[in-house]
Amino acid sequence: MIESGSRGWKEHKNPNFSPHLEYKIDTEMLRKILVNGPITQENISSFLASIYENTGTGGHSVFIGQVRADIKGANRVKAIEYSSYEKMAETEAGKIRESILAEFNDVKSVEILHSVGIVKAGEVSLFVLVSAVHRHHAISACSKVVEMIKATLPVWKKEIFEDNSTMWKENSLA
Amino acid sequence: MEIQILFFGVLAEVTQTSFKHYRGVTSFGDLKMRVADDFPEIAHYNFRIAVNNELVNEDPVLNDGDEVAYMPPFAGG
Repeated sequence: MIESGSRGWKEHKNPNFSPHLEYKIDTEMLRKILVNGPITQENISSFLASIYENTGTGGHSVFIGQVRADIKGANRVKAIEYSSYEKMAETEAGKIRESILAEFNDVKSVEILHSVGIVKAGEVSLFVLVSAVHRHHAISACSKVVEMIKATLPVWKKEIFEDNSTMWKENSLA
Repeated sequence: MEIQILFFGVLAEVTQTSFKHYRGVTSFGDLKMRVADDFPEIAHYNFRIAVNNELVNEDPVLNDGDEVAYMPPFAGG
């Protein structure tokens, strides 16, 4: 778990504490990021509730990625089907966390959820929560986590249109 | 050696295959040639290769039981 000298944060070393437990039963899956189907309001709420457990953090930054009903010609996206190389995605997510915690010494935790399977337009497919002692690191690190997810997570997406035609999509990395 | 290959994303769709076992593989180059022969359609797509969850750039040394993944450009988020 996260190492920190701050008193409040030590509460997180309690192995029984994790918002992941709200929807993952297997404790070996405690830090897994992949979720079947959309990320629900309940998933998000349980992570936000975890903020109230901390007294050592002063700023939290959240990114929520949502499936957009893009219009392509006469067609509109009704859903995205995500697939993943799951073992590698979990490994890469661990690397993202480690790299962020090493770069931003103010950051105390990095939480990521990413959907696999079908996510309809309007539903949420990515959730990132970065908690830090101060706001600047929370905001910068959260932005960096999202860019790293786009660049390094082995996830693929296929847009499904209203007429049920499909198109594979790639990330454009700025 | 025995190697399992995996296809993801559009590569799994065009090959209609998500995995295949290869026996008697002698090297990474040998594996790549056999895969290219079996699935010529993948030549039309960009992809990167990971061995046991790690992206490789140059031809790595393969070991018996390795998992070799053919991955199109990532599209997470």
